[in-house]
Amino acid sequence: MTTTEIGSNEQYNFDIVRRFSFTAVLWGLIGMSIGVWIASELAWPFLNFDIPYITFSRFRPAHTTTVIFGFGGSALFATSYYIVQRTCQARLVSDFLANFTFWGWTAAIALADVSYMLGYTQSREYAEMEWPIDILVEVVWVAYMAVFIGTIMKRKQPHIYVANWFYLSFILATALLHTFNNLAIPISLFSMKSYSLFAGTQDAMTQWWYGHNAVGFFLTAAFLGMMYYFVPKQAGRPIYSYRLSIVHFWALSFLYMWVGAHHLHWTALPDWTSTLAATFSIMLLLPSWGGMINGIMTLSGAWDKLRTDPVMRFLIVALSFYGMSTFEGPLMALKDVNALSHYTDWTVGHVHSGALGWVAMVSFGSLYHMIPRIWNTKIWSEKLIGIHFWLATIGVLLYITAMWISGITQGLMWRAFDQYGNLQYSFVESVAAMHPLYMMRAIGGMFYVSGMLLMVINVMMTIRQGNNAPVQVPSGNLSVAGA
Amino acid sequence: MSASKQQAHVPQTTGHVWDGDLQEYNNPLPNWWLMAFYASVVFAVIYWFMYPAWPIAGTFTTGFKTITYVNNKGVEKTVHWNTRALLLQETNEAVKAQKPYFDKLSSMSFEQIAKDPEMNSFVLSAGKELFSDNCAPCHQQGGAGKVGFAPNLTDDDWLYGGHFSEINHTITYGRHGYMPPFAGVLTDQQMTELADYILSFEKYPVNPASAEAGNQLFHSETAACYYCHGADAKGRKVIGSANLTDSIWLWANVPAAKTIADKEAAIKTVITGGLNRGVMPTWQGRLSTDQIKLLTVYVHDLGGGQ
Repeated sequence: MTTTEIGSNEQYNFDIVRRFSFTAVLWGLIGMSIGVWIASELAWPFLNFDIPYITFSRFRPAHTTTVIFGFGGSALFATSYYIVQRTCQARLVSDFLANFTFWGWTAAIALADVSYMLGYTQSREYAEMEWPIDILVEVVWVAYMAVFIGTIMKRKQPHIYVANWFYLSFILATALLHTFNNLAIPISLFSMKSYSLFAGTQDAMTQWWYGHNAVGFFLTAAFLGMMYYFVPKQAGRPIYSYRLSIVHFWALSFLYMWVGAHHLHWTALPDWTSTLAATFSIMLLLPSWGGMINGIMTLSGAWDKLRTDPVMRFLIVALSFYGMSTFEGPLMALKDVNALSHYTDWTVGHVHSGALGWVAMVSFGSLYHMIPRIWNTKIWSEKLIGIHFWLATIGVLLYITAMWISGITQGLMWRAFDQYGNLQYSFVESVAAMHPLYMMRAIGGMFYVSGMLLMVINVMMTIRQGNNAPVQVPSGNLSVAGA
Repeated sequence: MSASKQQAHVPQTTGHVWDGDLQEYNNPLPNWWLMAFYASVVFAVIYWFMYPAWPIAGTFTTGFKTITYVNNKGVEKTVHWNTRALLLQETNEAVKAQKPYFDKLSSMSFEQIAKDPEMNSFVLSAGKELFSDNCAPCHQQGGAGKVGFAPNLTDDDWLYGGHFSEINHTITYGRHGYMPPFAGVLTDQQMTELADYILSFEKYPVNPASAEAGNQLFHSETAACYYCHGADAKGRKVIGSANLTDSIWLWANVPAAKTIADKEAAIKTVITGGLNRGVMPTWQGRLSTDQIKLLTVYVHDLGGGQ
């Protein structure tokens, strides 16, 4: 056992995986807590306390940045570094660059949050970071690309495992998206403020080309990479179909790039652009489902694990939410459905069924699988994972149900005319109608964040246990791999 | 372990093994999945034939769907489906439904509109919308107003008059209430006396001597309150000065103040600093004459009017 451990430490760089896993759960707790706070501000506006730094407008980008890039991003760094080493049988190509990605990324998230609270923003959704932070992210990302591609290049396995294709496409696409969407000119060298290089409709189009592909490559492709490793590992069964993985990978990568304009239906965007976005969204449905089918069918023959293994439950329920939101998305991309859903809470609900249901749940499952292995121990409490699962599931369901009702109510109220040709409801009446649903959403968020808190406790106790008794349990199949 | 040994156990895998036990079956694409994907492609193609879709050399395929609408010159137009035409078409329908009522509205007097049940229903429907979008930000939803901010329109008190013509004038041209500050003009003691005088109208238990001194001061040339508020302190609607004898308060929140001292303080704050906040913007140019007429009847209805 001891030799296995020493050998594995030399073989792979797990330090970087440990760091990113730990910050992932911490960012998760912080980001989701801010989310609950701003959801509560909408339900009970006095919570703004007239303090500019914590108003909805400044906390909202802090919430999205912390959960997407802090929690999600760190989980992706951790799992991609873990998976690429294990499936390539090669140590990361540079420990220095890997450490640089950790400190750079963590600093970028912290700086972004502070700058938002101080009022600095590019006002581009999910790209609010001002130019100095954008440059930091850019440099970190190039380093990440170098580490990841370099490690794949020195692999000892002849074939590149499917999870790595997905991570690779995520890294390449994100580099492209981040670079072009953030082209901006600072008003001076010593000012945080900058203006975009694009204007008007082109600006909006660039932003949503970025915005939706952040969903497509950051929040979908990358997390599918995670799924492609941890689902078969946890299930102990082979991936259902190699062929399906190839077909849906390329279809997904090709189709996603077209659909961003569906965020701009019913705006100044040319109608033909919006039509193309709608139709490519529809064609994206089945390629998206390819990943879900491949994940869920991998479990066929081992369905009993859903009853006994809470980690498996997280992974499979995540895939179900993934399937549901990738069905909902194309539907909302149709012009007529969008006429009802646009600008309503339905959009917010849709994002969260993807973010809480898919992205966060698949990360929870993966981290629960990976964390005990990289600290050479067992999970501190399997029971807590079970409780976390139910808190998270109830939380998501409350959240998205509230937002469906609220969104469809808003959409219907805004478009209702009476017999005299007058609007039936004033805007403020629709705001009043949202109040109970905003409370329900905040409560859903509270469920979700309390599950996250249990996870932080569980992870910290597991780490402590691992540090105290480092070599109790073998860390998987390292010594056997490819032997 | 060797790949061939693995294949013997699980014949359908691709034969590759990663990280000890990661393998892939090579199941064919599920048939329903493939068929559904083709169906989505067919759907997309049909959609392209219906709507503007593909850009070609400076123009684009327009699709077969058309929209017919009447433009602002009254000319009927049929064009390929587009967002703007759809908006105009939907606006046409709403305008068509509103038109008979607006036509009648222009030729009717305020009193006739208020008495006609059908027109009244229309005013309630259109007025609520106009009021919520334009007036409610200050006068609050339903016109309840807010002490210290904007007058309540649902009570019987009308600063500038509650007759149709007066309300119409207020909405059309806006209003600007002003009271000069008395800091440096009056002593603290004098302001307390004035406050007590005003509070005595509502029978608050103030010091009668102080209230009487306030009465003198109110009608003196030192404070000269009666210039604007009138000798009876009931206000003058030509300049919108407040009636100080009723229990309706716009700026000093007397009802909310608990003790007499607090009530005095509330009134003294207004006397000290004066008022220059009672500004209502003009709505002519922003709303049509008919819309203002309609709002006049609506607002008149809210407070019972005069």
